[in-house]
Amino acid sequence: MSAKQISFLNKISFKTKKPQILIDSAKYSGLRLTFQYQNHNGHMGARKFWHEYLPTLKFYNPALQVDVLRVRNNDKSNVRVPCKLEVISKDGEVLKTINMKNQKHTSIMDRLLEEVEHKPVPTKDLIEI
Amino acid sequence: MLSRSFGILSRRCEYHSGRVLLAEAVAASETASAKPVSKSVKDKLKRRELRRHSKRKADARKPASSYPLYMPISQALRYLRAAEVGQPISQQIITITTDVVSERGNLNLNGNISYNTPIKDVKIAVFSNDPEKLAKIKEEHNCHLIGGTDLVEKIKSGKQPVDFDKAFATPDISPMLTSQLARVLGPRGVLPTIKKGTVSEDVSSLIKGSIGLMPFRQTGNSISVSVGRCNFSDKQILENIIAVRSAYNTTLSSQKSKKPSLLGKTTITSTHGPGITIDFA
Repeated sequence: MSAKQISFLNKISFKTKKPQILIDSAKYSGLRLTFQYQNHNGHMGARKFWHEYLPTLKFYNPALQVDVLRVRNNDKSNVRVPCKLEVISKDGEVLKTINMKNQKHTSIMDRLLEEVEHKPVPTKDLIEI
Repeated sequence: MLSRSFGILSRRCEYHSGRVLLAEAVAASETASAKPVSKSVKDKLKRRELRRHSKRKADARKPASSYPLYMPISQALRYLRAAEVGQPISQQIITITTDVVSERGNLNLNGNISYNTPIKDVKIAVFSNDPEKLAKIKEEHNCHLIGGTDLVEKIKSGKQPVDFDKAFATPDISPMLTSQLARVLGPRGVLPTIKKGTVSEDVSSLIKGSIGLMPFRQTGNSISVSVGRCNFSDKQILENIIAVRSAYNTTLSSQKSKKPSLLGKTTITSTHGPGITIDFA
């Protein structure tokens, strides 16, 4: 029973390698994501990015404020709903905007790593249960 | 033929759950020839219950660190906050669940917890004709509405909406409230009355006693209460957990029984997060 639970915890803190980074909290205060509840019009990658990578990012950067704003849009022909990731500075200004539409969650993570200054978490600080 | 079928029945019983066992025992006792079988089944049931009870008792005495999912509270909160990332803040409720081992005949545990940081903000209205008292209360507490006869008139005429969750009053204004505002406040359950204990000379102590009070109740073999949201600081959540523990201890010590109930394993969890064992006792 507990093996499944332990693997869930390890997925957050150890097994997901890409988001194991330390973001400079003096420069960045948070991330703001906007996308649809529904997958159509290429919003699936954004949702997967939130589920796969954001927990680990939050685990190693507790001060980072992550806001996820999801919009309900049942109309497939309505393509005006934005699908974007904004990097917020200390003063609340938008520093970088990444378009997440029609992208896989892995490529969104790669873009974030390119745009944001970071350093990897030291191996001794990684937590495995 | 009969005896053979009962032989099969008793053999099958060993693999069955308690409820099925009991049903079969009842069915078997309906026929007169089945009496010896039903007795042995009942004995088995009783022994199993005793065995389970003593196992739960032994488990309750184990230290929390002996469980595979044990963690210090600060680390557990880090995992919970990570698991809740991006969810609406109103859904990020942190809850603790404690196992209770109670002897047969013990009443279910219940009581009230007074939190340092309440999870929900309660809006309070205070009615009084004594300006000095009002000023003093305003200083001490964060009150939503405060006033005397003029406030009553405002609410009656509809200028002031009824948007508070709790109301208190002093005895000098209470009859006026009942005659003027009973129809407005009564249906919402916020009319101060002596019967409800919301009318007193010393309103300040009344407010202190009622803010942040949360009732808890044992359901089945556990008690479960919410202690905070993910945006609370570690210190606030720890203080709330300590408040929960002291409330449990008061209830346990006032239990009228020769063998008081035991508190066992405690787990902390959130709405979308994992369950993690923590130190509690």
